[in-house]
Amino acid sequence: MIKNLRLWLPVTMLAALIASGCMLVSGQFIVPFKFIDVGADPVTVDSATSLSGVAVDLNTIDVYNDHKSDLKDVVDLALLGNLTNLDSGAGLTVEVWMVRTPGTMLTTDTAVRAAGVKVWGPVTVAASGSKNIGWDESAALFTGRKALIDEIKGDGRFDLYALGNNGYHFRITKGILMTVISAGK
Amino acid sequence: MRRLIALTLVALGLSAGVAHARGVGIGAFAGMSAPVLQEDVAKGNMFGIRVPVNLVPLFTVEPYYASAALGEATETVAGVDYTREGFDEKAYGVNALLTMGGPVQFYPFAGVGQTSLKRTGFDDSFTTFNFGLGLGISPAPKFTLHLRGELQTVVDGEASRKFGNVTVGASYALFSMP
Repeated sequence: MIKNLRLWLPVTMLAALIASGCMLVSGQFIVPFKFIDVGADPVTVDSATSLSGVAVDLNTIDVYNDHKSDLKDVVDLALLGNLTNLDSGAGLTVEVWMVRTPGTMLTTDTAVRAAGVKVWGPVTVAASGSKNIGWDESAALFTGRKALIDEIKGDGRFDLYALGNNGYHFRITKGILMTVISAGK
Repeated sequence: MRRLIALTLVALGLSAGVAHARGVGIGAFAGMSAPVLQEDVAKGNMFGIRVPVNLVPLFTVEPYYASAALGEATETVAGVDYTREGFDEKAYGVNALLTMGGPVQFYPFAGVGQTSLKRTGFDDSFTTFNFGLGLGISPAPKFTLHLRGELQTVVDGEASRKFGNVTVGASYALFSMP
């Protein structure tokens, strides 16, 4: 029995290692998509009927292309940047929505809510206030992780829109979609 | 996997009784854990405890608990640094060691366990495999100093997170049976 016991753990471990597939040659890689690269810096929204979206195409990023064929999962997501409330009379609450199929950019709050899915937020900024949104804070604000992950694991192309729930006069600068992917062979 | 680990521990415990366990000890260790091919976390300190149970010559099983505070990662984009906090890691499991005995010994080991990784916006646990090589030096009866290097593989779906761990520690044989 003891002789068998000596083999039990190593054999179990080897079996599990083999069963778990490509875990030995894999890594986690950061894919930063800068809004400025698609001319969306700053993103200024003046009203619910004059939205300005961001056409995300991760295929423009080398790290994503290098690992797209062996992409296994998306393990971290964050929307970074500075959010400024341009309304001096009221606080602002902002959410980010995703429209899966890129195409003609939508311009109204109603159209985005009809065609998209909420993926992030809300975050609140006081009247005339400004807020830097950091990686840790942002990572905790994702509510639609699966929808976004599916797109990143898919063709990597989708549109993002910032919607205001309270005020509707704001600006986003230095916006970045920070994605961490797991890839392995 | 938790069931597998629990059954393993129970089986080892029962087997120890059947085999008239040769000795049980307790040890502590500390060291460094360095992520391998992980851009979103940095190296950090780790520490833990081990309970070596020497069942028969050449073979020791070792339940363990480890904790690590992994460092934050920094990514510079367009000249701006963005930081992501590191993981708070807790791990437990059991190692199997091939031990030769004597005052100085090299011993390979492998183990299976469960690792939880936690940071803002992320909290999950995973099956873990590890293997490595240890050096044991026994300057006095019942007392052994350990230096170990290991690769820890935290399985996450079809991929994994890997860590290279280097630890130093000490163990003390609480009792032994002939």
